[in-house]
Amino acid sequence: MKILCYSSFTFSYLNRARVLFQTLREHHPDWELAALITDRPPEGFNFDPAAEPFDRLVWASDLNIPNFQSWLFKHDVVEVCTAVKGPFIHQACDWGFDAVIYMDPDTAALASLSPLEGWLEDHDILLTPHLVDANDDDAAIRDNDLSASRTGIFNLGFVAIRTTGEGARFAKWWNDRLLSYCYDDMPNGMFVDQRWCDHVPALFDRLKIIRDPGYNVASWNLSTRKVTVEKNGTISVNGAPLRFWHFTKLGAVGDAMTKRYAGTNFPVYEIWAWYKRQIQAATDPTIPDRWWAFGAYDDGRPIAKRERVLYRERIDLQQAFPNPFASGRGSFQEWLEHEGA
Amino acid sequence: MKRLIAAVAPRGLRGRFRRMHPDHAVAARAFDRAFYLKTYPDVGEAGSDPLEHFMTYGWREGRDPSPEFSVRAYLEAFPAVADADVNPFVHWITHGRPRAVVAEAPEGFRHDVLARLTSVEERMPAPFDGVTDPEVELSAALMISRGRLAGLHITVSHDDYSANLGGLQAAIQREAARLAERRRDHLHLYPAGPWPVVRTATEREGLGVVWNGEALGIFEPAAIVRALAAAAGTDASGRSFAIHSLLGHAPDEVVDILAAAGLNRGVFWLHDFASLCAGFHLLRNDVEDCGAPPPGSPACGICVYGPWRDRHLDAHARLFERLQLTVAAPSQATLDLWRASTRLPAAGAVVLPHVTLAAPRPAPAVPAGRPFSIAYAGLPVTHKGWPIFKRLAHRFAADPRYAFHHFGARGDPNLPATFQSVTAGPSRPQAMREALQDAEIDAVLVWPLCRETFSFVAYEAVAAGCAVVTGPDSGNVAAFVRDTGHGRVLDEAALMAAFESGEIADLSRARRAPQLFDLRYSALTLDLAAATNT
Repeated sequence: MKILCYSSFTFSYLNRARVLFQTLREHHPDWELAALITDRPPEGFNFDPAAEPFDRLVWASDLNIPNFQSWLFKHDVVEVCTAVKGPFIHQACDWGFDAVIYMDPDTAALASLSPLEGWLEDHDILLTPHLVDANDDDAAIRDNDLSASRTGIFNLGFVAIRTTGEGARFAKWWNDRLLSYCYDDMPNGMFVDQRWCDHVPALFDRLKIIRDPGYNVASWNLSTRKVTVEKNGTISVNGAPLRFWHFTKLGAVGDAMTKRYAGTNFPVYEIWAWYKRQIQAATDPTIPDRWWAFGAYDDGRPIAKRERVLYRERIDLQQAFPNPFASGRGSFQEWLEHEGA
Repeated sequence: MKRLIAAVAPRGLRGRFRRMHPDHAVAARAFDRAFYLKTYPDVGEAGSDPLEHFMTYGWREGRDPSPEFSVRAYLEAFPAVADADVNPFVHWITHGRPRAVVAEAPEGFRHDVLARLTSVEERMPAPFDGVTDPEVELSAALMISRGRLAGLHITVSHDDYSANLGGLQAAIQREAARLAERRRDHLHLYPAGPWPVVRTATEREGLGVVWNGEALGIFEPAAIVRALAAAAGTDASGRSFAIHSLLGHAPDEVVDILAAAGLNRGVFWLHDFASLCAGFHLLRNDVEDCGAPPPGSPACGICVYGPWRDRHLDAHARLFERLQLTVAAPSQATLDLWRASTRLPAAGAVVLPHVTLAAPRPAPAVPAGRPFSIAYAGLPVTHKGWPIFKRLAHRFAADPRYAFHHFGARGDPNLPATFQSVTAGPSRPQAMREALQDAEIDAVLVWPLCRETFSFVAYEAVAAGCAVVTGPDSGNVAAFVRDTGHGRVLDEAALMAAFESGEIADLSRARRAPQLFDLRYSALTLDLAAATNT
């Protein structure tokens, strides 16, 4: 099966994406790996795609999204890196692959993902739920079950589709939704791309919900997953081989959630310690912390979230300022200073 | 709330509670006044009410209200509580007392080990400065010999056995002592720097030389080859060598030095598992026995030693290819694991324990009904199982069924156990056995996290009449206990359960009527038939 696996990120997450792609290369040298980047390299950073552990580089600006700058401005970094997943997967259906897999840059394969290929023989869409076992402890229900109810049943750090049939139909639908409704706006039923996928079991056939606990292990499901390292060298999660981990929230917040739910299940800390070592080795110090080329107006002033929201809610502003990143006379930025307040 | 206070508070105190802030009344349910005053004497000295002090200042200063509750651990586990500026102790009591509040961190001691874990790169020594002693000094020293190098014995290890203390160093000292008795010459080689791994051919290092017990200095490996070739001649029939550790050595260098003395057949000791992995204790990420899984396994993939494993496999493959090595293991369990995990072409294999038990005789009877005494013998270090002993002591110290003892060179003031200073050394090699025997300890917790190739302390404990309590991954300790019946092999949960139920007291002296033994030490390579090149 000819497989394309892609991840969507900015240069701030290049270190994570490198680790993901390195682990995928190790376990699946036959997969084609693609980086989807919504960013421009920072000054002083020498970006050499040929030296990166992926095979194909796609700039979000090359996805032929109509009114790209205006569209991009409506999103913050998380929203836009999620939104571009839709047009990419839709377009990739025509690139000659049998299947396309998306994985978040902060995931990493810890063993072969080959069972996915088997499932894709019989199914067109694969999704991993946040939880495959219910919690029964109040704190865990609040942290995990209710959180998934708000943000989406499935974690869209992973999705795999066949490029034909229901897979292609899903890709087109996801493309359409994410181009117009990929915002962190929970009161209005949106949490970027995830809440949309709550509809997938109703809208599409040939879906497999992966309930194997070895997939997409993350802090939100550690309360019901026990990790063990066997003497034969395999790593198991509730008895199933560990396949991939989702290292969400690298840092103090992630550590606290991990500790709360891993407890004394120390192999979890071993896996995190490994990941932190990999990230450290993959980090390029010439990329400024939290870098994002589209986080500021042309004059360097940071773009506030409320300014993006205002712009996306006002069609008149979108029409008046097709390039809202511009600074100076006649710009959206100038309009904000004089009238937007 | 009033009804609750009435239920838990003595009548005389109820008035005080009525005047209290509601949070104070909640905290009072679990606040350990005596503990607080003992732990923070400044509170008593200032005349403060301990509960009032804790509720007003103490928790913000990270002071703990009881031995069961750690403010620091709780806030770390529940950062939302810290963000909300809520008293963590009150939060704990009113939220079902979630875990995260035990003396040991809620994540267990292994979490802390992992937080401190350093990479092998960080443990590498500084590059060799190139400063060596003159070759002529080495040549001159070799001229002064016990027997003109006819019975030369060369040992190779990771450090200067004559200057450092430890099990391996003591073992080489015993070889050295036997060589001196027999008037055989002894050349010991060790790397100048503290290498955590074997060296590749391109990594330069000076080699330390100890000649007949005297440290000569640091020399270029090529200089050692020349000096030895000149001094030793080609008749190697009465000579021998033993490789005790290849850490810090490059295999070809070792082979070339041995060849200079005409040596090719010798003994390779399995004091550790460096021939299987750079993590020579087989302790994955320093927290759990790995059992030497196949290289490239997912377990090796997450292990700090994983990226270095090939270096060790390659180096030992080269060594075994160029030399005819008989593998000597201090225990059968060690040899069994080694054989199951490698295809290194050994010329032979032999098991020779460092110590055997001899001259059994009944131990004096002890009175029935005394508390069961459990001891930890040795330094309070994690990889020897100190956190497990600590966990037991914290849990059961107040239990009249048990008495906790620690024997070692240094203690831990925070542990509820009696401490007795014991330092074994060349002058008193059996100091630990004597101390355990004198104190009539019932059982010793010998709980190394890594599989021991040989555990002196397990033999010392049994020789002293003690039972040994150990975990399933302790290698020679577990095998020794299973083979001889001198104790129990339990997992961590079963250990706690055996103390909880009192079943552990089956190991008391009164019930076992144990024997005492003498300890007979081997002279290692010098006790092996394969010890010479003949």
